[in-house]
Amino acid sequence: MIVFDHVSKTYPDGTMAVEDLSFTAPNGKITVLVGPSGCGKTTSMRMINRLIDPTSGTITLDGQPTAGIDKVELRRKIGYVIQNAGLFPHRTVVDNVAALPRLLGERKQDARDRARQLLNLVGLDESFARKYPWQLSGGQQQRVGVARALATDPPFLLMDEPFSAVDPIVRAQLQDEFLKLQETIGKTIVMVTHDIDEALILGDQIAVLRQGGRLAQIASPEELLRAPADRFVADFVGTSRGYRSLGFIHADEQLTVRHTPAAPLGSSAAALPPGSDGWLVAVDEQARPLGWIHRERIGEVVTAEAVDHAGSIAAEDAPLRDLLDAALSSPSGDGIVAGADGGYLGTVGTSDIVAAIQRSKRGRARPADEEAGDRA
Amino acid sequence: MSGLVEFFADPANWSGSTGIPMRVWYHLMYSLIALGIALVIAVPLGIYVGHTGRGEASVAGIANSLRALPTLGLLIVVVMLAAPLFSSSLVFTAPAILVLVLLAVPPILTGTYTGIQSADRSAVDAARGMGYKPSQVLLHVQLPCALPLIISGIRGAMLQIVSTATVAAYVSLNGLGRYIIDGRANSDFGQMAAGAALVALVALALELAFLLIGRLVVSPGLRRSVRRTRMPGAVEPAA
Repeated sequence: MIVFDHVSKTYPDGTMAVEDLSFTAPNGKITVLVGPSGCGKTTSMRMINRLIDPTSGTITLDGQPTAGIDKVELRRKIGYVIQNAGLFPHRTVVDNVAALPRLLGERKQDARDRARQLLNLVGLDESFARKYPWQLSGGQQQRVGVARALATDPPFLLMDEPFSAVDPIVRAQLQDEFLKLQETIGKTIVMVTHDIDEALILGDQIAVLRQGGRLAQIASPEELLRAPADRFVADFVGTSRGYRSLGFIHADEQLTVRHTPAAPLGSSAAALPPGSDGWLVAVDEQARPLGWIHRERIGEVVTAEAVDHAGSIAAEDAPLRDLLDAALSSPSGDGIVAGADGGYLGTVGTSDIVAAIQRSKRGRARPADEEAGDRA
Repeated sequence: MSGLVEFFADPANWSGSTGIPMRVWYHLMYSLIALGIALVIAVPLGIYVGHTGRGEASVAGIANSLRALPTLGLLIVVVMLAAPLFSSSLVFTAPAILVLVLLAVPPILTGTYTGIQSADRSAVDAARGMGYKPSQVLLHVQLPCALPLIISGIRGAMLQIVSTATVAAYVSLNGLGRYIIDGRANSDFGQMAAGAALVALVALALELAFLLIGRLVVSPGLRRSVRRTRMPGAVEPAA
């Protein structure tokens, strides 16, 4: 657990980078510091491992004030991932990951063996181990950066804009993989980003900072979208927050799943049922949905080329946002739903999803009222 | 041209204290002594300035003004000033070496501190954040990253020394310059040309030596060369 207790940082020229910041980053959770540039989010993060010393206030790590711990000792307990990875250009990938364990006296072979396991964990196979950083793409370098931060298995992890320097597709992939990784490693993470979308995807809780390093709100992503503390937070969270908040709501049992007929690849057109307005769901040999297909576009047999890929496919347990997106992007008007095993389950209509959204709003209104009552 | 061939063909020029091997040996010895002294001064100073960022402006200023000094003029002034301080043969040798050192310090110093300063900033930040001590950051990150620039500084200094050591024959320093000065005095153009050719050869040989040293000590990750697989088609041993 990382606790900020009335922490301030004033520079000699009088600039107030962080002002009276108090919050707790709970164990095993991702706390994201987010805000516009100049809001002191990076300064706040760098005060945790004392790359910057606070002017006043205390930061404690599992109850121990960081001011009382030797800087080098402190930093070795905290993994550190930065933008552009900051890999050592003169070391191979495996030796980058093994660098700190080697520095701390671990045997070369042991350190490298563990480094290879970590590289595997972040999705880099054996062929990368002996390459040098310049031979890697930005996304690959960032994976190595994460593996290196985990090399000594520190309980804490600081991440400074870790996925900002890569293109959007790679970023989404890295974020997704990182969340899966966190499920297994369960580190206490403080991450800095300027990207509210990234914060909403990755954060268990989000601290929104405003100019001058003052905390505007700290809340779960869902709460931040549902109940922004003020105009600044609302503006920062952005315009489509209503739609994005659906990313945190799941459908109830009343949502109707229709059984739109499936059209397996290779099956003959004559044998297919009429479908809904001529639309069928194309599925592959393992009965996984591929996309919508219209009877008129099918020749003699169902082929992969005839599949319409416009519609997204939502997982059965996905939030309402994914279901709604599947329906809105669909050429037939209905969204395709896949089961937990990836197999085709059925389709959902836009109006049914909207009804589910309304039910969830009604269901949520009451607990919110009770909360207000408790406070009064 | 025939004079040059005659000079190299004459067996008398291959032995004795004025022979080619002896003069090459002297030339190299003076050069290496001067380089050694310059390294001892410039590398630690460059590391200090590069690592701490202290005194950068003054060091850069001094290094640049040293570079602007005219070699021959400096040589003569130093010999005149230093002559009363030394006895015997050191009268000429010590001032000449001093001048060579003065000329070699700036390129090495500049190469070292700019090398350390330009070491990948995010790598240095990462190392600090990971818990490297300042000395460990220097030893494990900054210095290895600075090596290409340090070596190129030393190479520049070496070439400067070898060519200036030739001029130092003017103040009676033994070495390949003697062939040029003595040849000039005797209007022996063959000898002069031979001297010039030998200096060029020595410089070329040293250049090659530095190329080799660079290959050996600079990481392929910095040279950005692709490491060849030791055995084509061989499978990497499983971890």
